[in-house]
Amino acid sequence: MKLLTANRLTDGLTLWYAGTPESGTQESGKPESGTLESGGWVEDAALASRLSDDDAEALLIAWKLRETDVVAPYLIPLTDTGTPVQREQVREFVRANGPTIGQTADAIASAHNRADIFEN
Amino acid sequence: MSATQSSAKMYKYDDFDHAFVRDRNIEFADQVARRLSGEITEDQFKPLRLMNGLYLQLHAYMLRIAVPYGVLSSKQMRKFAHIARTYDRDFGHFTTRQNLQFNWVKLAETPKILEELAQVEMHALQTSGNCIRNTTTDQFAGAARDEHSDPRPWAELIRQWSSNHPEFTFLPRKFKIAITGARKDRAAIRVHDIGLHAKPEGFDVYVGGGMGRTPSLGHCIRTGLAGEQLLSYLEACLRVYNRYGRRDNIYKARIKILVAALGPDEYKRQVEDEWARMDRAKVDAPVAEIERLKSYFPDPDFKVASFDRVAFERAQTADAAFARWIKNNTNPHKRDDHVSVTISLKPVGLPPGDASSAQMDVMADVADAFGYSELRVSHEQNIILPHVHKGDLYALYTQLDTVNLSTANVGKITDMIVCPGLDYCSLANARSIPLAQDISQRFEDAKLSDKIGDLQIKISGCINACGHHHVGHIGILGVDKQGIEFYQILLGGRADEKAALGVITGKGLPAEAVPAAIERVVRLYLELRTSDDERFIDTLERVGRETFAGALHEPA
Repeated sequence: MKLLTANRLTDGLTLWYAGTPESGTQESGKPESGTLESGGWVEDAALASRLSDDDAEALLIAWKLRETDVVAPYLIPLTDTGTPVQREQVREFVRANGPTIGQTADAIASAHNRADIFEN
Repeated sequence: MSATQSSAKMYKYDDFDHAFVRDRNIEFADQVARRLSGEITEDQFKPLRLMNGLYLQLHAYMLRIAVPYGVLSSKQMRKFAHIARTYDRDFGHFTTRQNLQFNWVKLAETPKILEELAQVEMHALQTSGNCIRNTTTDQFAGAARDEHSDPRPWAELIRQWSSNHPEFTFLPRKFKIAITGARKDRAAIRVHDIGLHAKPEGFDVYVGGGMGRTPSLGHCIRTGLAGEQLLSYLEACLRVYNRYGRRDNIYKARIKILVAALGPDEYKRQVEDEWARMDRAKVDAPVAEIERLKSYFPDPDFKVASFDRVAFERAQTADAAFARWIKNNTNPHKRDDHVSVTISLKPVGLPPGDASSAQMDVMADVADAFGYSELRVSHEQNIILPHVHKGDLYALYTQLDTVNLSTANVGKITDMIVCPGLDYCSLANARSIPLAQDISQRFEDAKLSDKIGDLQIKISGCINACGHHHVGHIGILGVDKQGIEFYQILLGGRADEKAALGVITGKGLPAEAVPAAIERVVRLYLELRTSDDERFIDTLERVGRETFAGALHEPA
């Protein structure tokens, strides 16, 4: 399972793909024209779709073509337990939740696996 | 207008400068429009935006604005406040390169921001890319009592020479120059690609210093270099690097690797050979031009007022916090009736180096009221008023206190250099800011902090070392260990005139264990020091790192 993430071209904010494998794409695999929202993108990581590896790869290829909408799309592999793979764990936690300024180290240590974002 | 308000004494754009920046902004605005319309791809656009200081970070675009050698006017600081309010999330981050970063700008609004900056003679050029970056210098330049040569005219000379220099726009890697002109090195010249020490008899030239993956102290390859020969000598240094620097491997592309590979003596021989063959007259600035640049930086019209020492001391007796601020946040000035004031951007529990728009406005206001409209950014991520009459200190302190800018911790354990880390930076492996917040809360007790005295903690969120961890008395390096943040502790680094690189001591620690480990080391220092005047770094050098290693890794 994977998540698809990118940054919005106009303001750089982090986006998450929350559509279905089919939503917003044509049969050719190319994304339909229209807004990012109609294409399935949201700013809230908690809403991100958990995609099969094949669907995720197809969507990544499709959205790479939409360069006037999103920048630097990439996939986050998920482990069986639903958290991102270990190598990316902290990075993707911060990317999903925004800067952690003000949290204590203890809070950070216990919050890495925030379930409401990366749950199955 | 207050008694001391005036125009800041600093660089001035001439017609060429205005036209150059305007043309570059027009060009970039067109590039942004073409990117937004899809006419050019991200691959085509990325190098163009980077040449204009615009990065795409973890959460948003980041714009890095050049503050030439850390010198700012009140007008420029007010412009930063306006940009923070209008185009960002109401704050900015002052960096270890004496620059300013906005973390949340929009691509579509960047041309407008650059236009606003140009109105106050600023830009974001050469704050990224493999070119000569902003030259950094002593934050007390032109004011410090221990200064023998003002580095600002030389920094300005280098700025003009290196701006859009056709030969050095695509170097093997980025290139950083630092200059000091004082007895104490406050510019960390030994850990720069080129470090210059301006002395009455000429420049000492250090080459091949740096931090990052392969830390190294610069080697002195020339002493007594005449100022009027500075540019040609720098050009010779850059040419040898440009010719032989490793373009095939980004990790081996900095000049420190070349100097280490050739050996300092051979590198020097090649530089001297290049210098001897070069037509120096075509490169070096005429004496008249150097004098013109020096004329940009006269002393301000110092306030002439009697200094009421009795009232000053009475104020300190009545207000212990003010007395502590005077003791910790002022630096001796060349005039007896003035001091330089450091405004700490390290309040306990808040992100180091950040300032809100309201704080920026107040800093601009106090610069106008008490500081001849001039400010500086230090590489320690604080703001400096270089010239303040002693009679104005209490009024200044009171005004700063209204916006949480009166923290009296300069040079102390909570005055940490901290990179943005994984909270913002796409290169980072670990967070820096939350760890700094934890450490500052652990040592927030003013009496304990003062008892500890001068102690520099420097934190980097990755091996690139933007947080200068190699030269912290205690350095902290964030690493990624199978997806979890760990922190390696270095002991014994220093960036001053006795520059030394810290050494990693023991195993990495999880974030939650670091503050207690630091406290154990500090408590051991307090036990071991021979007097209150023996600083942490002195004790460490006297007894050795191994003595402290046990305390660092003792179970909590």
